[in-house]
Amino acid sequence: MLMFSRYSWWVGSMVGLALLLAIMGQTGLLNPFQGLFLTVTSPVESVLTGIFRPVASVLSDAGRLNDLQDENGRLRLENEELKNQNAELQQDAETVKELRDALGITQGGGSDTKLAASIVHRDSSVFTDVVSIDKGTNSGVQTGMVVLSSRGTLIGTVTKSLADISFVRLITDSKSKVQAQVQGGSADGIVQGSPGRGLSFNLAQGDIKVGDTLITGGLGGNYPPGLPIGTVGDVSGNSQDPFKKVKVEPLVRISTARTVLVLTSFLPQRLDLQSP
Amino acid sequence: MKAVAISVLVLVAVLGQVTVASLFPISGGEADLLLVTLLLLSVFAGPRAVLIALPIAAIMLGFVSDRAPGLLLLAYLPLPPFALYLDESPLPLNHYARTALTCFGVGIWLRLVLALGAVAQGADMAAAALVRDVMLPGAFLDFALLTVAYIACRFIGWTGRGMTLQRSGW
Repeated sequence: MLMFSRYSWWVGSMVGLALLLAIMGQTGLLNPFQGLFLTVTSPVESVLTGIFRPVASVLSDAGRLNDLQDENGRLRLENEELKNQNAELQQDAETVKELRDALGITQGGGSDTKLAASIVHRDSSVFTDVVSIDKGTNSGVQTGMVVLSSRGTLIGTVTKSLADISFVRLITDSKSKVQAQVQGGSADGIVQGSPGRGLSFNLAQGDIKVGDTLITGGLGGNYPPGLPIGTVGDVSGNSQDPFKKVKVEPLVRISTARTVLVLTSFLPQRLDLQSP
Repeated sequence: MKAVAISVLVLVAVLGQVTVASLFPISGGEADLLLVTLLLLSVFAGPRAVLIALPIAAIMLGFVSDRAPGLLLLAYLPLPPFALYLDESPLPLNHYARTALTCFGVGIWLRLVLALGAVAQGADMAAAALVRDVMLPGAFLDFALLTVAYIACRFIGWTGRGMTLQRSGW
């Protein structure tokens, strides 16, 4: 017990302080101090992130050169296929428009309202993957709102909103759980963050294969249906295995993302969620 | 003057933790800049400095990362007593080895505490992944960062100090 002989007074007071901070945090007494501190420090954070993010991006790309070459080849083929599909869809769209005009059907426009925000910092320590964005309650951001990448892929949920800054729990956070389904298929389950900042899919029912795209299912009311999440990267376990391990590759590289979109037109049905 | 310098150093470490460290991960682990900074403070500036800086740093990190400051305080809490324990133990270790061992021990402890905090909030307790993807890569990065910083501190002429509390002064 040597280590407590001279530091016992300090350890005791720190444990007391920790308890006091826990109580203050639960009651929201720390929020004004946190908001003030973040207002002062966020410009410095932006500068630091701006300096080091390009370096990290270069190092990340250099370490994955072979993967990137493979991915490039695959994307070229996919691009060609998508161009062909796009041409067919444009023809279909024109046909549909002509038929609508002929039948006198009017179509309601999309009502999604999105707010662009910049990522200030990312905290991805133990079991945690959280980013802060430079928009808060003053811009209409509320706790529970869904956050998308600039291309519309689901990346997280707002967990706390202060005046000019909000915290977003990414889907790769271990506490994140999203009800999802295979696009165009029957399989559904829960997409969950893993400790290594990856994604796994806990399959509830249905068949799944590598390359399938997962989208939000909309059950539970925390996310609107149809938002893309990622593609199935690996499925381990045989066909009789009831608990297959499904690894999901996110569609967006969150580590180098700078801008996100907050879906302000969607509010979850339960705003008091602690772990959306 | 020393207090101001230490305050600025801790603030930079906190901001660096959430902006820089997260950009350079290995697997799911990342270096804990704040731990390394506090440890170097304790062994080069003396234990009294870190007794004051540690709770302030935990609160600042809690604010910036939106994590519970109380949990962070408990996570970093063993640093001074553990360093003193190694300082006074009969183990045949030099100053650098004691510092590195403190870094490893406290690093494992703080990641475990933070993981338990996350589990309490709903995360799955993936023990194997915690050790493989978070603790070991994080400890390695801490060790690498500490070694570089320790050598730099010694190179500029700072000498290591013991962890025994003096009656007064820093």
